Amino acid sequence: MSALLPGFRILRPAAVDEAVAACEGQNDARYLAGGTDLIVNLRRGLGTPAVLIDLTRIGELSDLRCGDGGTRIGAGVRIARLAADPAVGSRYPALREAALTVAAPGHRNLATVGGNLCLDTRCIYYNQSDWWRAANAFCLKYQGDLCHVAPEGQRCHATFSGDLAPALIVLGAEAEIAGLAGRRRIAVADLYTEDGRAHLRLAAGELVTAVELPPGPVRCGYAKQRIRGAFDFPLAGVAVALEVIAGRLSALRVAITGTNSRPFLLEGTTMLLGRAVGEAVLAELDKLVQKQVRPMRTTLTQANYRRIAAAALARRLVASLSATAPTAP
Amino acid sequence: MTDSKGPERGVPLIDGIDKVTGRARYTADLDHRGALVGRIYRSPVSHGEILRLDVSRARRLEGVVAVITGEDCRHPYGVLPVAMNEFPLARGKVRYRGEPVAAVAALDAETAARALRLIELEVRELPAYYDADSSRAPGAALLHDNKPDNLERAVHHVFGDPAAGFAAATLVREAVFDCAEVNHAQIEPHAALADYDPLTERLTMQSVSQVTFYLHMMLARCLDMHESQIRVIKPFVGGGFGARVEVLNFEIVTALLARAAQGRVLMELTREENFLTHRGRPQTTIRLKLGLQSDGSITACECEVVQRGGAYAGYGIVTILYAGALLHGLYDIPAVKYDGYRVYTNLPPCGAMRGHGGVNSRHAFEVLLDRMARELRLDPFTVRRRNLLNAPTRTLNDLMVNSYGLGECLEQVERASGWHERRGRLPAGKGLGMACSHYVSGAAKPIHWTGEPHAVVNVKVDWDGSVTALTGAADIGQGSSTMVAIVVAETLGLPLDRVRVIAADSALTPKDNGAYSSRITFMVGNAAIDAARQLKQLLTAAAARKMGLQPDEVECVGGTFQALRVPETALPFADAVKAALVDRGTLTTKGTFTCPPESQGGKHKGGAVGSTMGFSYAAQVVEVSVDEATGQVTVDKVWAALDCGHAINPLAVRGQIEGAVWMGMGQALCEETRYLDGLPAHASLLEYRVPTSAESPPIEVHIVESHDPYGPFGAKEASEGALASFAPALVAAVANAIGIDVDTLPVTPDRLMEALVARRRQARLRALGGQRP
Repeated sequence: MSALLPGFRILRPAAVDEAVAACEGQNDARYLAGGTDLIVNLRRGLGTPAVLIDLTRIGELSDLRCGDGGTRIGAGVRIARLAADPAVGSRYPALREAALTVAAPGHRNLATVGGNLCLDTRCIYYNQSDWWRAANAFCLKYQGDLCHVAPEGQRCHATFSGDLAPALIVLGAEAEIAGLAGRRRIAVADLYTEDGRAHLRLAAGELVTAVELPPGPVRCGYAKQRIRGAFDFPLAGVAVALEVIAGRLSALRVAITGTNSRPFLLEGTTMLLGRAVGEAVLAELDKLVQKQVRPMRTTLTQANYRRIAAAALARRLVASLSATAPTAP
Repeated sequence: MTDSKGPERGVPLIDGIDKVTGRARYTADLDHRGALVGRIYRSPVSHGEILRLDVSRARRLEGVVAVITGEDCRHPYGVLPVAMNEFPLARGKVRYRGEPVAAVAALDAETAARALRLIELEVRELPAYYDADSSRAPGAALLHDNKPDNLERAVHHVFGDPAAGFAAATLVREAVFDCAEVNHAQIEPHAALADYDPLTERLTMQSVSQVTFYLHMMLARCLDMHESQIRVIKPFVGGGFGARVEVLNFEIVTALLARAAQGRVLMELTREENFLTHRGRPQTTIRLKLGLQSDGSITACECEVVQRGGAYAGYGIVTILYAGALLHGLYDIPAVKYDGYRVYTNLPPCGAMRGHGGVNSRHAFEVLLDRMARELRLDPFTVRRRNLLNAPTRTLNDLMVNSYGLGECLEQVERASGWHERRGRLPAGKGLGMACSHYVSGAAKPIHWTGEPHAVVNVKVDWDGSVTALTGAADIGQGSSTMVAIVVAETLGLPLDRVRVIAADSALTPKDNGAYSSRITFMVGNAAIDAARQLKQLLTAAAARKMGLQPDEVECVGGTFQALRVPETALPFADAVKAALVDRGTLTTKGTFTCPPESQGGKHKGGAVGSTMGFSYAAQVVEVSVDEATGQVTVDKVWAALDCGHAINPLAVRGQIEGAVWMGMGQALCEETRYLDGLPAHASLLEYRVPTSAESPPIEVHIVESHDPYGPFGAKEASEGALASFAPALVAAVANAIGIDVDTLPVTPDRLMEALVARRRQARLRALGGQRP
């Protein structure tokens, strides 16, 4: 890692419109909030933006409202604050649990919700120093034209590793996005696409400003597999939201991070509805997960392990959440 | 976190306040006004012949003051006089990705970085080898022309009659173990500040060294300077664990740059460069065969060790010798055959790391012993007790064992862990395992044998009544300066805060062999006591004269000279000093310590490695929970007992034992280096997974004191011995928890999952087989 940051200009707009306008026409401008992802990458020579647009002075971005009318979480809300918010914790346990697994306490004090949603994808061939990548002829994601993970393929397999996204996806959250044309809202799941090189469906200069959630409360949880209990990005992260009526699953949503280039909502869970959670349902869930995750050799931990771990976490979460669910409707 | 089962609690390190308040200045914090920024250009290829190296464009860049290459130093350097094959900057060939090839000194970091990009290197690539097998294969290209088969050293030792031993055994088992390469990951990154004065032609070097004397010697050698023109100072150092025992290329490069620039150069390596400089514990494959009688007595041991050494010799020969020598000294074994192979590969060189050489072979030994105990239906503690040594004794390979507290260590952890009551009765997925280990208290034969004592300490007392101990011993965080202060204060009868320690500045302090092989407490401690005793004699005589008494009628207690039989007659320490200085002035006494020849190992080739005046002994019990769904192992608790002879500072001893346990836990659970075609994919503290506080289990420390006859106040080493028993105890605990025997380290979730999946598959196949008619 080169200890040197590249030279850049820093702008400190006071409002979202100003920030978006400042980005206009600047091909190499980047938004900066907590910096826990961006600055580390810039020190490694991953990008040489001429302009950084510091968002920390924009008051609106750190709004956090959580109540019966629904929840709005500004993109600039620090993850430590999100994790500590009692209303968020009681309505959306999965979100609190996910927030608490992000990196380590020092990072969470700086890192923001928007930053975690827009986390760059990661790969063992990409998150290396400039010297390292140059010695390896760079890679498809940046400055090179070969994916070292899947040399025969045409796409980048770098992995999305944010912890908050799967929780927000199962909670049915929407992301608010600001651009020159104003604001738009999309489901959090639709913010992403399965391409490690361009995994965010954001136009140039667009900025995620907030996420909004239905009021809840929701029976939900998040589980993360990693080697160490702090710092590490997920080898697999699973969020589950479910409802049980009269002992049978009446709603089930499962979202997964750390295995693909995007966090995604597991498909096919409707076939498990109306059934009591037992070994048969869990075995089918296991199959669904193992079939839909696409872990590649983007981490030092074996890809197949991440597949097995994702399924194990999903089983465990569904089992424990349905076990604690009230049986009466 | 810890209980206080030792004797008295001890004292905080004397430099602790400086460290926790940030007042302590580490190398990169030193006043480096006017210093140029040094940076290193590193090889992008694993193995090749240098065809062209053009630094002319870098030299011409404005702001660049000096650029140096292999042409600027024609002397190879290294640890062993017989194996100096590394140049500070590559000459002719490069042998690993990241090897230093050129270096620049510039006015600022940006310019230095720009200059590196202007350097042009053309290499004719040669086949590269990233594992010992392919490197040793017939026809492989040689890394070093004088080393056929890319073998740095083969060791073949036989003691006793192994064939007869195996013939006499009830049970003989053989297994192969694989331990991944690990790195010290000391918190302070490497740095050096070199100051060359062109007028006096003198060099002042400040660096992160553990052994400033080696650095001093190698700087003189590589810069063609006389030793007397060089001063080496060790500032505060943030950990070493062996990473800084040998002189490192960047240190010499910094000095070469300073001279080329005729000024000061500060070199700070990034974390990635720390991993490229490496010198950690090599990846090791161990094939081990043990013979046991039905009562658990060991009849024979046969061990083959292959170490993937990396591209240069470094400490390699010592490491491969330790791996065999330390099969001895823990248990009573009548026959040992050892074959060791240290192999060159196109990776960063390995070196010394806490528990040097012994850790991986000890791991294999303890794990196999545990499995065989199970097969013989013997308790693991029973098997260990069956094979205890009787001190004093000499091992088969002629190592001295003068004190031996292993039996007491076993009792302590057996009782404290509730071993017999709890093992086998824990809930599903939980298990207990145990293992033992040992380590030397200083190599009895130093590598650079000069005939000098093994340690020299000066103690000075001056007109102001201050007592200053001067030692070359490098305090690198292990607390050696505190140890010196304590033994001097205790010997003189002074409160601890009356003693200052000046350490590791070649212009002020006597030469010391440095912080390696856990030698400082034993050797420097003894030398410090010797110096303090001499000073005490002088002061006591002067005090007695002043008090009108005989020297044996006076004693210094708590900083006051007291007449022994007349309680009211006393003389303050400062007055005794004034009396002692009359006619003589400032007093400096010199204490020494020398390991006698009979402690320096056997006469066989390599017999000096492993020799020591005293071994520390450790026993450990580890309790784990295993999550079979994810393969995750959690360490719930550790009980560690260490026989350190005598705890000079129980608080520091506890800290060292906890540190050793914790470092062992890292190697056991999650630490490993991983190279992708020779590029270190692990070269950050994110990918090189040192355990965090989240994984840190409660560690219950038990200090055992066997009172070594030769140690200072009976003390032995306390910082390395407890490391090697962690990993085998963990592997035994996993086996106890889920019935899976793990042969590889670290026990990461993916490795364990592979074993779990294989077991499930076998169970399915068995079930199918059982259904057949």
